[in-house]
Amino acid sequence: MSAATTAAPPPVPERPLPVPTRESQPFWDGMREGRFMLQHCAQCSKVRHYPRPVCPHCFSMECTWKEAPLGGAIHAWTVCHHPFSFFFKASVPYIVALVDMDAGVRVNAQIKGMAEADLAIGQRVKLAFEPVNKEVTLPFFVAG
Amino acid sequence: MVHPLHESAAVSGIGETAYTRGTPKSALTLQLEASLAAIADAGIDPRDIDGVIPYFPGGAIAEDFIANLGLRDLALSAFIPMGGATCVAAVQMAAMAVATGVCKHVLISVGRTGYSGARVSTRLQQFPVFAQAAEFEAPIGMFAPAQLYAQGARRHMELYGTTARQFAEVAVTTRQHAILNGNVVMNKPLTVEEHHASRMISDPFRLFDCSLESDGGAAVIVSASDRARDLKKPLVTIMGAAEGHPDSPASIAQRPDILEFGLVKSAPRAFAMAGVGPKDIDFAQIYDCFTFTVIRQLEILGFCKTGEGGPFVMDGRIGLGGELPINTHGGLLSQGHVVGLNHVIELTRQLRGEAGRAQVKDAEVGLVTGYGDMGDGSIAILRRAA
Repeated sequence: MSAATTAAPPPVPERPLPVPTRESQPFWDGMREGRFMLQHCAQCSKVRHYPRPVCPHCFSMECTWKEAPLGGAIHAWTVCHHPFSFFFKASVPYIVALVDMDAGVRVNAQIKGMAEADLAIGQRVKLAFEPVNKEVTLPFFVAG
Repeated sequence: MVHPLHESAAVSGIGETAYTRGTPKSALTLQLEASLAAIADAGIDPRDIDGVIPYFPGGAIAEDFIANLGLRDLALSAFIPMGGATCVAAVQMAAMAVATGVCKHVLISVGRTGYSGARVSTRLQQFPVFAQAAEFEAPIGMFAPAQLYAQGARRHMELYGTTARQFAEVAVTTRQHAILNGNVVMNKPLTVEEHHASRMISDPFRLFDCSLESDGGAAVIVSASDRARDLKKPLVTIMGAAEGHPDSPASIAQRPDILEFGLVKSAPRAFAMAGVGPKDIDFAQIYDCFTFTVIRQLEILGFCKTGEGGPFVMDGRIGLGGELPINTHGGLLSQGHVVGLNHVIELTRQLRGEAGRAQVKDAEVGLVTGYGDMGDGSIAILRRAA
């Protein structure tokens, strides 16, 4: 069979994956271990997310990483119907909730196992871990 | 004390191409075509342009203008990476350049093949501000503006009772205005029922809550007021202009108040520079990437209180003949998406009395906003001075 008569298989859509930076690597290392790690200022102790080099409160460049609790409350949400990336075509509609974590930062992630009708501002949810490959684990939320 | 920038600069030329879905032209060709139209409108020679601020990222760099327009001594070139807030922020920068004498005539241009070229999710990757969202939000399925801005709209609905019916009013009114303009992509009437029946994109945004993917070019020339007074068209001066950046500018998710845009900071500065308040504004061109974005900006601008934007847009208030006509050209929702430079053009056209069937009666003072790049907000307030 010649190459010309062989139909190419449809390209497998690739999931957009995080590319950790030097600042964010500890967060993704934590996710892979099933731990929700957050960056804290070593000088004034304030938490910050997404990870960055300087504390915007006291301008210290020293930080520590601490494991944070998994609970939170819904701040807002959207239900995604149109897949802007082909990868998500199979999963629409999916709910993405913006959650006020008890640790004092927000996390945006899909909610699984909850119906749209059950969503409300303040609704308790819990962060869970979805390993995507051996490097990357992504967060999602379940009813808390 | 009067701000040194107050009325020291003017919009002296405006130009645009046809707004279409489908074009064989490049983004570069579109913005050069629009630029030549703006130059002709101002009645100057292309070689008189000595400052250029092309939309970024958008297919043209300063060198293209030197090569194509024969510019002899370009004194200022700049990119303003503020997404949808770029064009109106460029008005402020251009005003600063001509008011200080650094430049005589600054050209602001946009060329866009949003329909025939790369679509939004691809284009967004070129935005420097997108890096954080690309790392933390794209992997969980949040990357298009329709998704990123939808959560704020949902929260507004939950907190204040804002409704899809009110979103529809913005879409339907904007369409009515587009039909009066003629150079528009969407030229058929839209009903509230059709809005409600359109497919859901990212709840609460339906298709007709979203701006167009279209092809076209637009250009504006800003000159010093004393120079513009002697040019071809009636003098339209810049009373005030400002750009603003929200807290947590690259991440809506981490913003203390996800409904606070950069406009919260820029609007008071622009009103102070202009020496006017919301009550003095006859009409407004509000950046309408989404219907809800118009509603929320009207609140931030002080036309109504936070939470009252939904009821404010009802009952004909934002239509022609209403208390505050909005987007009298059809906006990004119905005319075309050239990143809001068409809003600056329409504002100028109205103040010159050139808006044809969409002319606002006795239009003397109007404002325009830009919104984008995760919530940056720019504003300019213009006046008919001649």
